[in-house]
Amino acid sequence: MSYAVGIDLGTSNSVMAVLDRDGGARVLTTPDGATTMPSLVWFSPDGPVVGEAAREGLDHSPDVTIFGAKRLLGRRFDHPDIKKLARTLPYEIAEAPNGDTWIALGSGKLVSPEEVCAIILRELKKTAEAHFGGPVTRSVITIPAWYDAAQRQATKDAAQIAGINVMRLLSEPTAAALGYGAHRGAERKYLVCDLGGGTFDVAVVDVSDGIFEVLATTGDPFLGGDDVDRAMVEQLVRDVRTQKGLDVSSDAIAIERLRSGAQRTKHDLSSTSGATLQISELAQLPSGRAVQYGKQIKREELEQWSAPLVKRLEPPIKEALARCGRKASDVQEILLVGGSTRMPAVQREIERVTGKTPKVIPNPEEVVAIGAAIEVARLEGAIDGILLIDVTARGLMVSMGQSECEPVIARSSVVPTREHRVFATKKDDQTRIEFDVWEGESSDSTQNRHLGRYAAVDLPEATAGDVLVLVEVTLDTDGTVRLGASEMVSGDRLQLEQVFHAGLARSDVVRLAKQLAAQST
Amino acid sequence: MAGGRTLHVRCATWDQVETFTSRKLRKGKLLSMKVPFTPAIGSAVTLGLELPNEVVVAIDGTVQQASVIEAEGRTWIEVELHGFTSEVVDRIKQMASGMAISPVAAPIIPRKQGPTAPPPAAPRTSTVDSLPQDERELFQHLTTELKRLRQAAVHDVLGVPYDADAETIRAGWMRLIRRHHPDLVARRKAPAISHLAEELTILTNRAYDRLRMALVAEGRATAIGATVSAPPGWLVGFDELASAERATGTTMPPPARGRDRIASIPPVNVASGSGPAVHGGDTFETRARQMLGAGQADNAQEVLAAALVVYPRSKPLRSLYYVAAAVAAIEKGEVMLATSQLETALAHYDQCFDATRILDYLRKAGQHDPNAIRRMFQ
Repeated sequence: MSYAVGIDLGTSNSVMAVLDRDGGARVLTTPDGATTMPSLVWFSPDGPVVGEAAREGLDHSPDVTIFGAKRLLGRRFDHPDIKKLARTLPYEIAEAPNGDTWIALGSGKLVSPEEVCAIILRELKKTAEAHFGGPVTRSVITIPAWYDAAQRQATKDAAQIAGINVMRLLSEPTAAALGYGAHRGAERKYLVCDLGGGTFDVAVVDVSDGIFEVLATTGDPFLGGDDVDRAMVEQLVRDVRTQKGLDVSSDAIAIERLRSGAQRTKHDLSSTSGATLQISELAQLPSGRAVQYGKQIKREELEQWSAPLVKRLEPPIKEALARCGRKASDVQEILLVGGSTRMPAVQREIERVTGKTPKVIPNPEEVVAIGAAIEVARLEGAIDGILLIDVTARGLMVSMGQSECEPVIARSSVVPTREHRVFATKKDDQTRIEFDVWEGESSDSTQNRHLGRYAAVDLPEATAGDVLVLVEVTLDTDGTVRLGASEMVSGDRLQLEQVFHAGLARSDVVRLAKQLAAQST
Repeated sequence: MAGGRTLHVRCATWDQVETFTSRKLRKGKLLSMKVPFTPAIGSAVTLGLELPNEVVVAIDGTVQQASVIEAEGRTWIEVELHGFTSEVVDRIKQMASGMAISPVAAPIIPRKQGPTAPPPAAPRTSTVDSLPQDERELFQHLTTELKRLRQAAVHDVLGVPYDADAETIRAGWMRLIRRHHPDLVARRKAPAISHLAEELTILTNRAYDRLRMALVAEGRATAIGATVSAPPGWLVGFDELASAERATGTTMPPPARGRDRIASIPPVNVASGSGPAVHGGDTFETRARQMLGAGQADNAQEVLAAALVVYPRSKPLRSLYYVAAAVAAIEKGEVMLATSQLETALAHYDQCFDATRILDYLRKAGQHDPNAIRRMFQ
C-alpha cells in the first residue's frame, strides 16, 4: 500500500495536505510542528539540509543556501527577468549548456533548479511517510497557472527525481478555489489573487455544476513577499549607513540578517501599526566588537516602501478580466491566497482595483495544498462530481530552418489538445527534416521560448517537396508537450531525434533519481 | 498511385459523400481546391476519397489549372478526375446504401494514417483480456466511442446541429468532457484506459475549439476564455472544396447560418479561370457606396452580403454591411434599429468611419434626414 499527498510546492514555503477518511482536510506538519516548510536548501559540507534547519545556512553561508528555486525552474538564463533576479540573489546562477538557468554552488559545482526542488520534495515525502507510516509514491503538485510547458515539465522532472509520481499538475488558482470549498457552493465566478513569496498569480475561475474552468490567467512571476523584504532591506541598509556609519550593502551575512529581521517585522505589521526590528549582531567591527541594530518601523513606512510593488498588482488583475471578456462586476467572489495577501495594503489595493471587498481566507497559505489534497482524493475516486478544466497559458509554435514561427496551438486552448503541421522536404533525396518548437505568440523566434529542436529522420528518398512530414504536437492533460511525426503518404511513424532540448534530458532525470535515492538510504 | 501526389478528402458522413458526388464536381469530373504546393499543369494526382466507413477510394486525376494565391501561400488547382468513372460512382452509392461491398471494382487503398486521425491507441487483445471485467467493458466502450467520433464531423462529435450557437456548442462540449475526461478514469489501473480517455478528450476539445473559432470568425460569438485565434491548418477538408454551383450570395445575410458556410472558404472565380479577384473586395465596396449615395440601401446591402461570401473575414466589408442595414432602416424611419446596426458595425470594426459619422449625425442633429445621409456617400 502506498499513499498519495497534495503538495503546494511554493517559491518560499511548501505545504502538504491530505484528506482524512472522514473527508476533512489535514495539513501535514513538519517534525517541528510547523504547517509550512521553507522551500530552502542549504548545501552544507555534510550534505543538503532542507527546510527550517536550512535557515542556519542563510545566516553564515548564503552563497550555498538556495531559496526560490521554483522561480528558476524551466527558465532560460538569458531572459531579462532572470538577469534582473540574478543581481538580487545572494547565490550565483549560471548558464547550463542548453541555455537553462542553473545554480552555481561555488567550487565550480552546478546544480539544476530541478534537483533543488527534488531535494525539497524528497523532504516533504519523508514527512508524509512519517505521517502515514508507509511509502508515499504519488502526488498532485500545484503550479502557477501561467507555467509554460517547459516549467511544467521541469516540475514533473523534479518530482520524478524525488521518487514521486505526479498524478496531475494542478493550477494553483483552481486548487485555491477547490480548497476554499467552491465545489460545494453555487455557480460562481471567482477571481483568485495569489500573492505568495515570489509570485503573483491572478486567475478567473468559473465554477458551475462541479466543473472548474480557468477562464483566464495572468500573473507577475517576479512579484511577491520576498520583493517586499528586499525593498525593506534596501531602506534598512540606507538607515544603517546613516545610523552607524557602516556600509553593509556588500556584506552578504549582514544583508541576510536584515532580511530575516525585516520579514519578521513585516509579518508583525500585518496586524499591528508599529513594530521593532532588533538585530543583536548585524556585523563585526574591525575591533571584533559586534554592531547592534534596532529600528522602530511603522506600518505606514512599510506601505510607503512597498507602494511601487503594490502598484504592480493592478495590471495582471485587469488583464485577466480583459482576457476572458469580463468586468470586475461579473465576478462573484474574490479569493485572496498566499501569505502576502495578509498585508493590509495588498487587500486595499485589490479592493480598489476590483471595487469589491475581497474574501480573506483564514489560512491563505494552506488553502492551495488543501485543494491539491482534494484533487488527490478525486483522482483516487473518493470524491465525485468535480472536473477541472485547464487551458494553456502560452501558445506553441513551430518553425523550420530560418523561417518564421508559425502557430500550432493557440494560447488558451483547452488541454489536452493536439494540432499538426506539415513540413516538406526542400532538397531532392533529403532524408532528414529539422524543426524547432517554440513557446510564445511571436512570429519572431527571438521573442519565444525555445523548447527544442527535433529531427525527423530516415525519410524516404524522393524529389524535393514530395515527402511531407506530419508533425503532431500534443499538449497532455498536465500541459506538457509530446511530439510525434509521421510520413504523410505512407502514414508511417517517423523516428524523432532530439537535437536540442530545454530542461533536463530523460537520461539525466533517471540518473539523478537514482543518485538521490542512493543518498537517502 | 501513379507517382503523383495524394490528396486526402475526408467525408465524415454519407451526406457529405452525396454532396461531393452531386455538387462539388463540375461536369462530373472537375474538382477545384486549395493546396499548399504548386503542382505542374498536367501532372498526376491521386485523390483519396475517404468514406465514412473508413474505406479510401483512390481516384486518379490530372491537374488542369493551377494559380498561386500569393497572400495565402497556397495554390488553387483544378483537377480532372478521369478515374471517377461511373463504376466508382456506383460502388460508392452501393456502400452508401449499406449494401455489401464488392471486392474489386475500383482500387481501394486501405485506410492509411489520415492527418486528421492520429493513430488509435492500438488496443491489443492481450491487454484487454488481462483487465478485470468492468475495466474491460469500459475499455471496449471507449474504443468504440473513439472510433465513432474519429469519423464524425466536428458538429457530430459534439452532437450539435450545424447551425448551433455558442451556448449549444458549449453545452455539447461539456457533456462530452463530463463523460471522457482523463481525470474521471484516473482511478483505473490500466494505462490504456487513461490513454483512450485522453484521446477522446483531445478530439472533443479540438471540435470545440474549431466550432468556436468558426463562430467567432462569422461574428456570431465573441471569444470567451479559451481560444481566439485559429491555427491555419492546410488540410484539404471537405468544406474547402469548391462548390460547383456558383455562389449566389445575394440572399445570404452575413451572420451565416447553415452548413455550407461553417468555416468554408469560397473559391470565387478561380475555378472558372478568371484572374484572382481584387484583393479586399474594393469593387464591391465601391459599388455599394454608389448605391448608398443613390438611396438604394437595400441593393447595397445585397451587394455587400455577396461580397462577404467572398471575403468572410473582411472587417471593413462586414461593418459596411451593417452601415447599409442602418441606412435602410433610416429610410424607413426606424432610428432605433439604425443606431443598433451602427453600433454593431463599430463592434465589428471600430475604425468604421461611416458608422461613426452617421452615429454622430443622428445624435447631434437629433433628426434623420435620409437625404443628408445619402450625401455622405456621394
